Amino acid sequence: MGKNADLLPGTLDMLILKAVSLKPLHGYGVLLRIRQISGEALDIPQGSLYPALYRLEHQGLISADWGQSENGRRAKYYTVTAAGRRRLREETEGWNRLAAAIAAALKTTPDEV
Amino acid sequence: MAGWMNLSRVRSTLRAMLRRGRFEDGMQDELRFHLDQYVEDLVSSGVPPEEATRRARLEFGSMDIVKDDCRQARGLRLLDELRQDLRYALRLLRKTPGFTFTALATLALCIGANLTIFAVVNSVLLRPLPFPDADRLVRVFNTYPKAQVLDDGASIANYYERRGHIPAFSGVAQYREGTTIVGDAGSTQREFISQVTPDFFATLGLEPVKGRAFTDAETTNQTNKVVILTDVYWRQHFNADPNVIGRTIRVADIENQIVGVLPPEFSYLSSKAQLYFPYASGPDQRQSAQRHWGSNSQMIARLAPGATLAEAQAQIDTNNVAMEKFNSQAKMMAEAAFRTMVVPLHADHVASIRPTLLMLQAGAFCLLLIGAVNLINLLLIRASARVRELAVRQALGASRRHVISAVLVETTVLTIVGGVLGLIVGDMGVRALSVLGTDRLPLGTHIAFDARLGVVAVAGAIVLGIALGLPIAWFNLRALGGLRMESRSGTASRAAQRLRHAFVIAQTALAFVLLSAAGLLALSLNHAMTVSPGFRADHVLSGQISLPGKRFPTPATGIAFVDRLVGELRQEPGVQAVGIVTNVPLSGNDIKSSVTVKGYVPKPGEPPYGLYSYSVGGDYFTAMGFTLSEGRFLTGADSYRTDRVCVVDEDFARRYWPAANRVALGHQVWEGSEAHADSEAYTIVGVVAPAKQGHVTDENAQGAIYYPYGHRPDSQMFVVTRTSVPPELFGNTLQQRVRVIDPALPVNDIKTMDTRITESLVTRRSPALLAATFSALALLLTAIGTYGVLSYAVAQRRREIGLRMALGAHPQQIRAQFLGITLRLFAIGAAIGVAGAWLTGHAIQNILFHVPAIHLATLATTAAVLAIVAIAACLSPSHRAATISPMEALTEE
Repeated sequence: MGKNADLLPGTLDMLILKAVSLKPLHGYGVLLRIRQISGEALDIPQGSLYPALYRLEHQGLISADWGQSENGRRAKYYTVTAAGRRRLREETEGWNRLAAAIAAALKTTPDEV
Repeated sequence: MAGWMNLSRVRSTLRAMLRRGRFEDGMQDELRFHLDQYVEDLVSSGVPPEEATRRARLEFGSMDIVKDDCRQARGLRLLDELRQDLRYALRLLRKTPGFTFTALATLALCIGANLTIFAVVNSVLLRPLPFPDADRLVRVFNTYPKAQVLDDGASIANYYERRGHIPAFSGVAQYREGTTIVGDAGSTQREFISQVTPDFFATLGLEPVKGRAFTDAETTNQTNKVVILTDVYWRQHFNADPNVIGRTIRVADIENQIVGVLPPEFSYLSSKAQLYFPYASGPDQRQSAQRHWGSNSQMIARLAPGATLAEAQAQIDTNNVAMEKFNSQAKMMAEAAFRTMVVPLHADHVASIRPTLLMLQAGAFCLLLIGAVNLINLLLIRASARVRELAVRQALGASRRHVISAVLVETTVLTIVGGVLGLIVGDMGVRALSVLGTDRLPLGTHIAFDARLGVVAVAGAIVLGIALGLPIAWFNLRALGGLRMESRSGTASRAAQRLRHAFVIAQTALAFVLLSAAGLLALSLNHAMTVSPGFRADHVLSGQISLPGKRFPTPATGIAFVDRLVGELRQEPGVQAVGIVTNVPLSGNDIKSSVTVKGYVPKPGEPPYGLYSYSVGGDYFTAMGFTLSEGRFLTGADSYRTDRVCVVDEDFARRYWPAANRVALGHQVWEGSEAHADSEAYTIVGVVAPAKQGHVTDENAQGAIYYPYGHRPDSQMFVVTRTSVPPELFGNTLQQRVRVIDPALPVNDIKTMDTRITESLVTRRSPALLAATFSALALLLTAIGTYGVLSYAVAQRRREIGLRMALGAHPQQIRAQFLGITLRLFAIGAAIGVAGAWLTGHAIQNILFHVPAIHLATLATTAAVLAIVAIAACLSPSHRAATISPMEALTEE
């Protein structure tokens, strides 16, 4: 897992919301999707995925329904709710601001001080 | 938005909780699916199946931990923990039955005592009167403070003056309570009735459910033969006949037509009225000249929407000024400081009992505090013994939060069970109270133990449980902190000891306050009981007779009846004296009127003065056991003399002839506030000792005058007999004798005078008894508390004591040491208690009788009793300490 970036605390929820906002997914699908959209850079510890999904569902940010998987098995599919979409937008903005600020800070050279 | 989110979370938790099986199955399926998919993917990428399964399991981590985290995410873990804590608490409580029993008994008694009193407070003070918008109802009454007549109700003339003329009132009504004889000859009964103006029910906001209210046309003496029944009367006497409207009942020998039936919930203040009649009056009574003749009549009103009490008061004042202009007695009334007051109906009705009830509630709460402090101490001691176990639990993964929640669950379980037991105790308490005569209190018949008390009990129990648990949780956390720092018997146990001692002090102080207050109340009751009523109440029986106007149309027929009754009763064996009087002392009614003394010149501005006025027949004074000061008693013969004579009491004589002694005899007085012809004047022929008229604890030397019945007859009277046999046994004879003279005439309210005295003390006896009960419980709890704390101290210091004994300490010294601790705690507690007792004494000063707020003997007795209890409680623990064997104590552990 050396090539993988470590997950910053608090970003897992954001990534899950992003993943299910693209298309309803089952838990395993969420894992694959995050790996895919991060260009294989982010690998979520499998044990922490489900508590996070349950927490988001409990908070009303995603909703769950039982459906059929690609290979015909019963699976639980998650969809983002309106509140979840709003939360994703807020968190994305917040993240972008933070990232820009940190990037700017790290670019500073001695003569700029 | 946030609110909605929270709601959806609660729903999500509830769903998972209620369908726990489905939640668990779903979770199992979902995780299973994940693993299977992963294994499949690994296999398809070329990993051998067995290796794939192993790797999937490994990367996923512990299934149980993941599941538990999911449950927590859904809010279920808290509930699971709660269930665990509950099971643990119950096991613990079962394991220590002695402690559990003590705790539950303490809680049941303390909560029960509070609920008992709260049931009364709730029914009498808090619950609104059973009318729509009952807080808008007011009472309007005339007061003449300088004439010593504080509350004279209102007159029917007032009613006609004010009806429709006070914009702040949306309704005004007048009523007068009394009794009447109902039924056909041979089966008559006396019933409590009320005469009301047509707008009475509309003003209250509850109109008859059948038929109609009265009309203005029914308020004359010729047209008032209609009646409205209460629901109870309708059910009992008419079998709930749906066609009762239009039927008639015989009232005082006249047929009255039933025009209405009231709703079942109709209950006006403490009224016992079963039948309602129109308040009839003649044109002369409605004139403003009659506005000061209240004659036991009351006015109520409903404030108009938006109107305030102050506005109503101002409008009444203005109206009075306008009306007094036409009144010939206006100057005299102004001198008596006449005013009409507007007061809230409910508050006014219960004003007399309010301070007593609040005091009792405070007392019960004090008891609860003592009980709570006691329990905290017992729990603290138990917690000290469990520190090690707790440490093990924490080492096994119990969090700080868990340490706290375990304690809170345990204490709350205790208090909730205690609360439920307390409900049972409270229910019994309310029943016991009714034996003490609480139904005679204002709104006393409304006292009920209802569902709301159950809610109060459970809610209070939960709050109490948390309050009890917090200090224990604090101690546990401190103790654990101490353990970690490897000093087991260090700061934590010292702090806990200080806490335990502080609680013993608090308990002693509270018990001191409670005990001293109970002492003051008991002393008051004792003083009230030993107050001489002014007559010899033993062996006296009294009963009320009311002569119906139809069969006794003239005063002469009334006089003849009285003569015959007195004459026949006197013949009965065992009878020593018989008399009649228009109103016995302590009957609950007081009838005051003024007199004019011939030759007495009132000082300028001296207001008219209300005196207790009675008509007496037969040998009333002998029968009632009055003491003659000078002159002679009135006798039956005085009713037939042409020259009028009367008897006054010493207060009367002192009022009009303050300086001189024995000069009242021979003076002449007229009834009423004006002088008349000499032939109508009554000559004073005797002076008797003053009697308590209204209450045994009346302090006012109001003065009384007694006229011969023949000159001042009345249809209302009490017959009074003094017998050599116990008076209770004479009641039947009395009833029979009256029936022989007139078969349709009942005798009511037959009671011995001793009973009347006892009943008039109900508002003193019940509080004193309750306070005494509370104090006894408080003493018991204090004893348990002191004993528990000392026993624990001895057990904890066994090694130290053993060592000291081994080094030559005398058992007496050890004993003295523990006695010293006890006495020190007692002394501090008592000192705080004295301050508390001082405050309490002042707070309850107005319900004390002849007892100062600070009563040194009571304080000293309280201190002595508490000291004895404290010393008794420490005897056994200090003895145990003194007999510790040095060897044994040192080799232990």
